[in-house]
Amino acid sequence: MDRKELEAKIIELVAMSYNKDASELSVDTKIKEELGGASLLMVGLVSEIENELDVLIQLQVAAACATIGELVDKVEEQM
Amino acid sequence: MSILDQIYEKAKQNPQRVAFPEAENEKMMQAAYETGKDGYIIPILVGDAKKLKDLSEERGYDSSVFRFVDIQEEEYKNKLIGMYVAQPGRFLKEKALARRMQDPLYYAMVMQAVEEAEVTFAGIDNTTGDVLLAGQMIIGMQPGISTISSIGLCDIPGFEGSEGSLLAVGDSAVCTNPNAEQLASIAISACDTVKALLDWEPRCAMVSYSTLGSGQGELIDKVVEAVKIAKEQRPDLAIDGEFQFDAAISPAVAAKKVGRESKVAGKANVVIWPDLNVGNVAVKLIQQFGHANAYGPMLQGFNKVVCDCSRGAPVSEIKGNIVISAVRAAGMQ
Repeated sequence: MDRKELEAKIIELVAMSYNKDASELSVDTKIKEELGGASLLMVGLVSEIENELDVLIQLQVAAACATIGELVDKVEEQM
Repeated sequence: MSILDQIYEKAKQNPQRVAFPEAENEKMMQAAYETGKDGYIIPILVGDAKKLKDLSEERGYDSSVFRFVDIQEEEYKNKLIGMYVAQPGRFLKEKALARRMQDPLYYAMVMQAVEEAEVTFAGIDNTTGDVLLAGQMIIGMQPGISTISSIGLCDIPGFEGSEGSLLAVGDSAVCTNPNAEQLASIAISACDTVKALLDWEPRCAMVSYSTLGSGQGELIDKVVEAVKIAKEQRPDLAIDGEFQFDAAISPAVAAKKVGRESKVAGKANVVIWPDLNVGNVAVKLIQQFGHANAYGPMLQGFNKVVCDCSRGAPVSEIKGNIVISAVRAAGMQ
């Protein structure tokens, strides 16, 4: 999976977990400011990443990512 | 009979299956053994079964008190995975779940989620964060509840409240700065917790530095909004406020300050703090000046009872918390 495909996949998983339209999201989307939501949504996102990409991201690591792009970086590091 | 004695008595009448994912720990195994041997719970030790059995014998315990579950045993593990992923709304699928279940904490919670155990008891080796994350991921939250929180049960010598010397308070340990929606969730969860554990009819006061508009400002607005949300979400519960603490628990003060009918004012048995600064300081005051015993914190907001004990807890405290968790689980059924 190349970087562009990974970005598209993560955006799809974020959209699903936060109940958003994927077309409204990009790698620059700020997770806390623009998506908000309870920590449970982040737990759901981390679980989806595990399910779909077979990558285990710690919740604290995911929660520390400011943007979707940063989250893609962290997932890429683990792949 | 003290409140703890009453809870122990209740546990014995309907012993629950408690899964222990940290039973290699000496204090945890001792607490599991003693509560199991005395008939308060049915202890299930989850991990490397051979090692657990050897440790149990080395430590001089009668192994027949325990049920051992080996997390490497494929048949039972696959049965659990099949049952778990068939449940609606679960986050993890087979492969990811199987990997997580290499950790006894996750394994035990899966057992609990599929009703092979009623309680998971951990926290002596795992951090609070580990337990909360596993709980959110595997057990899930109660519908309509927006935050994990906790309550404590204070037994305050000389206090003559509506439940004698007892008062439930929350959240003094988990949710740092709840918004109005989260504060409402804490109150609702607290009412359900005391009902399940103590059979109380909860009367829950949400406290602040104002009684029904005697003060103004954003700190009060949050509490007022939380009362409104809680009443809308659970009209069956007696949740009221905003009250000052004295108006919440003292009939004489309530008579002066609360100029309307209230099922709660002056006779609250559950008090909800506006944030963790207040909650933590208040509990310390109750302990230091009121010489109270405080039991807990009891985690709440999960779909089932998840317990996180303090890593420095002595065996006597661990045993108390195991039995409290078991009685809560029985009360939630």
